[in-house]
Amino acid sequence: MSNARLAFVDLTGGYGGAIVVRGISGNVRAGEVLCVLGRNGVGKSTLVKLLMGHLRCWSGEILHTGTAIQHLECSARSRYGISYCPQERTVFDDLSVRNNLTLMGDNRDLGRFEAYFARFPILKRRLKQQAGSLSGGEKKILSFSRALSEGKGVTLLDEPSEGVQWENILHMAALINDSKRAGASMVIVEQNLEFAETIADRYLVLDQGRVVLEGTRRDLNREDLLSHLHV
Amino acid sequence: MRKPMVPTRRQFLGYSSSALVGLAAFPSSRAKADAAEFKVGMFLPQGGPASIFLAGGRACAELAVDEVNAGGGISGRKVRLVFADGGVAPAEAAKSAIRLILDERVEIITGSHDGGVREALVSAIKGKVPYVFSPVTENGNCSANTYYLGETAQQQNEIIFDALVKPRNLKSFYLVGNDYSWPRAVNENSKKFIAESGGKIVGEEYVPFGTPNRFEEIVTRIKSVNPDVILITLVGGDNVTFNRTFGAFGTDGRILRVGYLLEEQTLAGIGADGSRNLFSALGYFSTAPGGAGDQFKQAFSAKFGETSPQLFAQVGTIGVDSYAAVHFARALIAKAGSTKARDCMAASEGLSFTTATGPAVMMHRYVNRTMYLAECKGTTFSVVATKEGVRNESSCKT
Amino acid sequence: MQDLIAAQTINLIYAVTLLAVLSLGLAVIFGLLGVLNLAHGEFIMLGAYCAVVVRQNGWPFLTAIPLAILVCGSIGYVIEVLIMRRLYRRTFDTLVATWGLSLLLRKSAEAVFGLTYRSVETPLPGTIDVFGVPYPAYRLAVIGLGATAIFVLAIWYGNSRTGLRIRAMTGNPELAQSLGLSVKRLAAGTFVTGTCLAALSGVMIAPLVPVFPYMGLDYVLRTFFVIVVGGLGSVIGLVYGALAIGGLDSAVSAFSNGTYGYLSVIVLAIAFLWLRPRGIHVRG
Repeated sequence: MSNARLAFVDLTGGYGGAIVVRGISGNVRAGEVLCVLGRNGVGKSTLVKLLMGHLRCWSGEILHTGTAIQHLECSARSRYGISYCPQERTVFDDLSVRNNLTLMGDNRDLGRFEAYFARFPILKRRLKQQAGSLSGGEKKILSFSRALSEGKGVTLLDEPSEGVQWENILHMAALINDSKRAGASMVIVEQNLEFAETIADRYLVLDQGRVVLEGTRRDLNREDLLSHLHV
Repeated sequence: MRKPMVPTRRQFLGYSSSALVGLAAFPSSRAKADAAEFKVGMFLPQGGPASIFLAGGRACAELAVDEVNAGGGISGRKVRLVFADGGVAPAEAAKSAIRLILDERVEIITGSHDGGVREALVSAIKGKVPYVFSPVTENGNCSANTYYLGETAQQQNEIIFDALVKPRNLKSFYLVGNDYSWPRAVNENSKKFIAESGGKIVGEEYVPFGTPNRFEEIVTRIKSVNPDVILITLVGGDNVTFNRTFGAFGTDGRILRVGYLLEEQTLAGIGADGSRNLFSALGYFSTAPGGAGDQFKQAFSAKFGETSPQLFAQVGTIGVDSYAAVHFARALIAKAGSTKARDCMAASEGLSFTTATGPAVMMHRYVNRTMYLAECKGTTFSVVATKEGVRNESSCKT
Repeated sequence: MQDLIAAQTINLIYAVTLLAVLSLGLAVIFGLLGVLNLAHGEFIMLGAYCAVVVRQNGWPFLTAIPLAILVCGSIGYVIEVLIMRRLYRRTFDTLVATWGLSLLLRKSAEAVFGLTYRSVETPLPGTIDVFGVPYPAYRLAVIGLGATAIFVLAIWYGNSRTGLRIRAMTGNPELAQSLGLSVKRLAAGTFVTGTCLAALSGVMIAPLVPVFPYMGLDYVLRTFFVIVVGGLGSVIGLVYGALAIGGLDSAVSAFSNGTYGYLSVIVLAIAFLWLRPRGIHVRG
């Protein structure tokens, strides 16, 4: 816990008056991937939005390398070192693919994306195209590449594989594992267990806004996980 | 003449009766009129574009009240002005008039505003108290107990044609105005004069009233027609913009222009850029020579002291009409001895009263007056012709 | 006849350019922040008074530009921080707030400058021959500078880093924030830019019209029509809107009269509000 890159303690929050996340705790260390699993509507995306600051925490604490950041607004958390890929509205539709990638960089050089272009050549082919014209899966790939290339300490991915072809999911897994080796920490929300199994170090399984199962990949067996993923 | 935009009689009855019910339900303490005061209700535009005339009109009216009170007031009672907003929608103004009569107990109402509000006030007041419409006006309305102090188109055209059109042998006319009743009524009158003088109309057009207009297209068209003179019945900002545009297009070398509502403030807006070969015919110019005008100016300076020059610059013919309105009220009530329609209308015939340019006489409820023709020199008027005792053409019964 | 058509064509170009420039500030604030700034006309009015003030003091006309930016930029900034910042996404509240602001600015101008018409001497007197037609020099300058300004703004908005970030902010504010963009700062910058553009267009029209406290009312409606017809959020939409509204008005006024010109504009605007509320050019 003390050496966690990102930790959250007893986090509670929701939309308007509706409570969705009820006292969830967890953490992720450097070079580690925490996969958040669960059925639809159990609070996975809400948890990530609380961590990013799109939703205000009703109670609980978020610590970035030991410093409380739950009072910071979204853009300040980003500058603290958190990247985020939302589940929906993943890209800037009326910007080109290139501008989506380079919007926040110090320059518009594409050199730092070579590793991503090598695995996803479609991005390179469509650099000048408006991102809004991409398919849902292509947008996910663009959003994924943009977030990972930022190279921030913590990356939050909300269902990155949704709508993406299996071949490209494997490329994503490879890139995630590369980043992990370089010391990145990630919190990844997933429905696709096969994908999760190729990247996760630890699992956090939610049901009705609470943690129902947690542990390392080795600790948990597949059947238990599956029982929480399907109705 | 087009029908002015006023509510129908039925709508109007609705408005006034609900106002009356409202007043009856909430009797005001002010309803007990101070018998020692003679209240004059005065409609001036307090908001909107026409409110550029407010400060000047108010100052003139206050000066007149001082003078009337110094001379013993009206029927021995001190005069007090009660202001209402004449820059609102006609129905709104009508409600204010009813409030003034029932609540404030004013004994005469004067107004300086557009024709729509005037028609609404006439129907609301119904001759119960005298109603004095003070500014420039089209002729033709003879409602009971209603009096008009402003210049009529006939009076303006008499001096324009005598002192400008005929001596300079101007033959082709272009008419441009805002699209509402006054400009069209003025132009009807002008057409008679044009026909009499053997001239012809080479263009006549109107632009919307109450919306900003650009005049590049119109000036270009006028230029291509090349008339001798343009008769302008645009008002306010449009009058300024048209003349500035005209000046900018360099067309002011030969073509003369005459404005029918071109007073001190409008000329200040037009500026020296746009005022070459531009004329105006009105009953008052601050620069007009003559004793009475100077006396008025002195009295004005004496009352307003240091702020006087700045304030005086805002006084044009519309302002001094409010001065005349208060003096007219005094003279009328003094002679009639009551505010009843029959008494007042009879008393008004041949009534002489004080104006900023000396005594004026009312005939058929309009005024016979001195008219001036002025040429614009930069941003000041230079009076080039004066015509005394110009009769009005009214046929209103008394 | 040929001269007349040539002159009316220049008039049309002038009308379109003028209207586009007058609409810029409103378009920036409405298109990017979703706030229909009912005080837009009052910022134009303040800009025009800046021209009055510099002329009164005998300074060169162009000194009105920095003065207008200073005055309206500061007012815009204070208003953004104190009021607008709390109201984004509350459309009705922003209408009420900016309407109140318009009253305040109008009355303040009335208190400072008085309720009288002021005129600003034209900085470029005389006419210049264009295709054999003498045309007022200052109006030609308006066409040239206005078109250049719109062109430069379009290029900047489409390509500069700030332009891209503004588009990112308006297109997907949540994502923009999680990328570290300070939406607060961008919004304040955008609002101030909008008020400054309005003020600059006010400086530009000062020598053309009577300057007085109520003049702002004249511009809100027509510039709003431009945005309705053109569509939000792009410079090209603004240009289309100005072409449609200004061009139609000018063409109809040139060959019939001003009343029909105004009528045609109103009909066009109503038709768009009714049938195609997103305008000619829909972004994205």
